[in-house]
Amino acid sequence: MALISIPPDITFIVLAVVTIIGSIIALQAKELIYGAVALAVSFIGIAGFFVFLDAPYLAMLQIAIYVGAIVVLILFTIMLVRREVMDELTDTPEHGEGTAGLWLAGLLAVAIAGVAALAGPDLPTQPKPADLRVSDLGPVLAIQYPIPLIILALLMSAALLGALVLAKLER
Amino acid sequence: MVLLPPTPAEIVALIIAIVTSHTFVTIVFFPGFIHLALIVIILTWYERKLLARIQLRIGPLYAGGPGGILQPMADGVKLIFKEVMIPYKANKPLFLGVPLMLVFLAALPFAVIPFGQNWVIANLDVGLIFVFAMTSLFPSMILLFAWASNSKYPFLGGLRSLFQQVAYEIPMWISALSVVMLAGSLNLMDIVYAQSKMWFIIPALLSFIVFFIAILAELERLPFDLPEAEPELVAGWFTESSGAIFMVIFMALYMKLYLMASLVTTLFLGGWWGPGPLPQPVWFIIKTLIVATFIIIPRGVYPRLRVDLLIKLGWTRLLIIAIANVFLTILLINSGILSSWGLP
Repeated sequence: MALISIPPDITFIVLAVVTIIGSIIALQAKELIYGAVALAVSFIGIAGFFVFLDAPYLAMLQIAIYVGAIVVLILFTIMLVRREVMDELTDTPEHGEGTAGLWLAGLLAVAIAGVAALAGPDLPTQPKPADLRVSDLGPVLAIQYPIPLIILALLMSAALLGALVLAKLER
Repeated sequence: MVLLPPTPAEIVALIIAIVTSHTFVTIVFFPGFIHLALIVIILTWYERKLLARIQLRIGPLYAGGPGGILQPMADGVKLIFKEVMIPYKANKPLFLGVPLMLVFLAALPFAVIPFGQNWVIANLDVGLIFVFAMTSLFPSMILLFAWASNSKYPFLGGLRSLFQQVAYEIPMWISALSVVMLAGSLNLMDIVYAQSKMWFIIPALLSFIVFFIAILAELERLPFDLPEAEPELVAGWFTESSGAIFMVIFMALYMKLYLMASLVTTLFLGGWWGPGPLPQPVWFIIKTLIVATFIIIPRGVYPRLRVDLLIKLGWTRLLIIAIANVFLTILLINSGILSSWGLP
């Protein structure tokens, strides 16, 4: 028996607010460090969505890789780049950019709402993957989708080799 | 129907029901807060006594109670009542907030560590990944604290800590992979159950060694304590912390030590399994304290490693051994030697 039960709608709204506010601060923060922290909060919000959608494995990897590695990389870059170089790179928002962004966001919202309205009635009838264990993911990847897996592995090794070549070139 | 306001007797009964419920007991008392706070106090005392014995230091003859057991309490009281100094131009919200985050991150993984068949707060299916995800947030927090101090020694220490923890995280994850393959699960409870006949330290000896070295580096213990190298960096990334802030950071560090020791116990030393009539949590704590002893001993014995040697050891030795060990484990599993221990 759970002592406290939270209605799913409230969970969704809280997660959505945390994620969206986090990403807005990440874009708008004057101090880049605060931007990186807000980005981490937004990533954790997305991980919360994965938990909410019964995908805890994905949620944990989201935290470990996005917050634990990518945000660290961003922090590292912010702290090692000299202040003057950073100020040159960051441009001030030009007149009308905000309005254009709002228009774009509105259009995107209308498009998503349209798609949801068209597909709406069919969505809840999707079978819910009941009690999918982590150990079931391996066979699905290795037997059902071997070719995408191999292509992904090739892509990763290409990226790694590229990074090594770039690091060598700089010397 | 009229809803009557609850009588005092009903409220008392409800409170008793909540306090005696298993959820409450596990969160507040045993694997939860009070147990962790006590363990942190005991570990600080234990480390001092052990290092003194190793280095044949006799020390003061009178230090609070039998064996100086009251010394940690005195330290705690002293640190609480000391003034918290915040450096000029430090980033105040991060400087005060990050230590709390560190304690939170160090305490949270204990929710999934099984101290006994019934002594676990949350039996997560992805428990191991949860522990690793939480510990992977440590370097960024440390770097943030170091940056927030606005002083050069903490910043250098924070950068070193980041280098080191990111480099040794990968061998740690990969060496734990062979345990996951042997148990066939990421659930820490299942991993302990799979060790009912044979502890994983025998079939996965190589990954135990890699894991142990990696956690020494993750915990910034000697010979890998470059981030807080006293002769060079004063106290590393927490140089500017004082008073209560320092106490909170120390609590987080010792909690992380206990966390890593209990993770070694869970993954390699059979968790709560043990002979005799002792209850399961007692076995678990005994094993964990033995592992903690072996984590502390190098501090009295070894010199500090150089930075380049540290990075070289992590990326070119441990990582290679860990990856080779994965293939070795696959060979072991496919050869069927392990089937007599109830393993795949």
